[in-house]
Amino acid sequence: MKKLTTLIIFLSFVSLGHCQLIENLRVGLEVNAAWYNDDKNTGPFFDSDNQDSDKHLRANSYLKLDYDFLKNFTATVQLESYEPLALLNYSPNFDGTNLGIYSLNYRNKKLEATVGHFYEQFGSGLILRSWEDRQLGVNNALLGGRVNYSILDELSITALYGKQRVGFKTSDGEIFGANIEYDLSKSLGFSESSISLGLSYVGRKQVIDVMNPKYNELTNSFSGRLDYSKNSFYAGLEYVYKSEDAAVLAGQLINQFVNPGSALLINTGFSKKGFGLDATFRRLENMAFFSDREKAGNIYLENNVNFTPALTKQHDYLLTNIFVYQAQSQVVFADPQLTEVGEIGGQVDMYYNIRKDTPLGGKYGTKLAVNASYWSGLKGNYDFNNLSYDVDYLGFGEKYFSDISLEVRKKWSSKLNTIFYYVNQYYNQRAIEDNFSGEQIQTNILALESMHRLGSKGKSLRLVAQKLWSNSDNHDWIGGVVEYNFNTKFSIYANDIYNSGDDADTTETHYYNFGGSYTKGASRFSLNYGRQRAGLVCVGGVCRFVPEATGLSASFLYSF
Amino acid sequence: MRIFFTLCLLFISLCVKAQDIPEVTVKNLAGDDISTSEFKNSKDIKVISFWATWCVPCINELDAISEIYQDWQDETNVEVIAISTDDARTRRRVKPLINGKDWEFKIYVDENQDLKRALNINILPYVIIVKDGKIIHTRTGYTPGSEEELFEIVKQHTD
Repeated sequence: MKKLTTLIIFLSFVSLGHCQLIENLRVGLEVNAAWYNDDKNTGPFFDSDNQDSDKHLRANSYLKLDYDFLKNFTATVQLESYEPLALLNYSPNFDGTNLGIYSLNYRNKKLEATVGHFYEQFGSGLILRSWEDRQLGVNNALLGGRVNYSILDELSITALYGKQRVGFKTSDGEIFGANIEYDLSKSLGFSESSISLGLSYVGRKQVIDVMNPKYNELTNSFSGRLDYSKNSFYAGLEYVYKSEDAAVLAGQLINQFVNPGSALLINTGFSKKGFGLDATFRRLENMAFFSDREKAGNIYLENNVNFTPALTKQHDYLLTNIFVYQAQSQVVFADPQLTEVGEIGGQVDMYYNIRKDTPLGGKYGTKLAVNASYWSGLKGNYDFNNLSYDVDYLGFGEKYFSDISLEVRKKWSSKLNTIFYYVNQYYNQRAIEDNFSGEQIQTNILALESMHRLGSKGKSLRLVAQKLWSNSDNHDWIGGVVEYNFNTKFSIYANDIYNSGDDADTTETHYYNFGGSYTKGASRFSLNYGRQRAGLVCVGGVCRFVPEATGLSASFLYSF
Repeated sequence: MRIFFTLCLLFISLCVKAQDIPEVTVKNLAGDDISTSEFKNSKDIKVISFWATWCVPCINELDAISEIYQDWQDETNVEVIAISTDDARTRRRVKPLINGKDWEFKIYVDENQDLKRALNINILPYVIIVKDGKIIHTRTGYTPGSEEELFEIVKQHTD
């Protein structure tokens, strides 16, 4: 509380006309509020995370201030408020009003140093990533210190230490990290091609409280990366090794189940004007890496040290997001028939622009995007009773997921644009959700979108129709969206999806939403009422399960 | 809670002036570090759009600008910079996508979202217009036709 009072006094002082100070201040405000109501169809309001059915009105609020001073310094604070409780599905660790983030940063051409909270990523994040996503309720900033120094133009090093943020507290485990980025092509004087090298170390130290542990307090992980590009061709390789650590099964540390982990990521592509091709291969084995071991696999995505998103296309339509793949990086020994230690697979993307004034291109050209992905478990011998496994390095085991999608974007006239979107998916519910009675679901999904411009002042109409067919009696969905923009500032929309299949959780229920938004510059206010389907909310490749809820929600964003 | 809103009101009532673009490092498509201070070097107005490969309205906006970009440049010398906020899941898609779409914009990648955070960007798409290193206009969201409003602002500020 004292901190807050000091802050208010300081800010009041600032506001008394000291515009010079304000010029160096950046402010961001976000308030997301909801009023949850009882629903005749889906039951009364209940928050299972907090065991609460009384507090219908909730708000998550964030106020972030960045202040630049003395040429090289930046001070950052982020005040967060979850009152009286956080919105549904957020971790109960986000509780009350408090300072969530505070840091002081010094930066010149060669050196950057931070004390307090900071976000960091080594390589693609396979070994370390700390980040924030408010919609997902993720904030695993490290609280400690970090130094980055550019020894030469082509060589920089980073060293860091910290504990991870968990709600308003920190992890028990400590994180140590070091990273080197080296641009070889600069040293070798290559001008046409580029070669760069990266090396990282990340250690996690957490006190062990079991007798005769078979693993160490400190888990070490090492990563090496190589990237090459020349003209329109590029390729990259990343490998991570994680030292022996105990597995966590259903939230329990298993002292006699100790294994190392590894990750391999290979990416290559070719692109030139009007054409792009990209292919990725990845293998993960026992790569769950958490600042507190026993938090492995927690549903709130807390304590994640590394970042292993699903490498599949992130679709943007309602029905394309019902069966979403999630990367299987963790050891699961749930049943002799349900054992996993990782995943192997890949994806290919192709983009092509059919030129204008050709038969298929028409007057404005036609844009195509194709994606195909395939993921399976690691092939090998799993010994459920003795808690051991022996997997092949390049063997494909049980199929988990596949997805083929085609997008065709076409502009017909200055008034009409359309998008045709088709997806074919295979979803192994049993393996992906660790659900014993899960099905093997195959779907075909079609979405058609049209955008109509109705005048010069930004008046426009957007329509989307969607249909999902499946091989399962449980899933047969239909959906639609209507959006009307009065001008570039004010919009209203309504959408609905409906399952006529037999799935006990969703059958014959309309999941509808309607609302509007008003935008002015960087400020935006939106109001929405609707029923949320239980399922995954996905942002940037990470998904979190959210239960069913009905209510009114409002959001306000402001920044300057 | 009350304190929170008092603080917010206090800020909204503050005098607001054009901001400098914060100094943060992003990467170009070859993977080299680029400081945002380079955006201040030229006198020409820059339209900087924050987008992601998975964000449909962002793609709609950049497609729409792409079609009239030549006209914009002929008239005003404006430069459009598209900064991808894609993280590890989708970053690899940036290069083939921009080539496949034939976009002529300068492209940078803000992979762990340092610049996005420094500018307090909450939702995409988000556009800022920069002149002499100062942010003279910001806008969030895209509806068809808002690219024309952007160009009006660019023209107003062209000397």
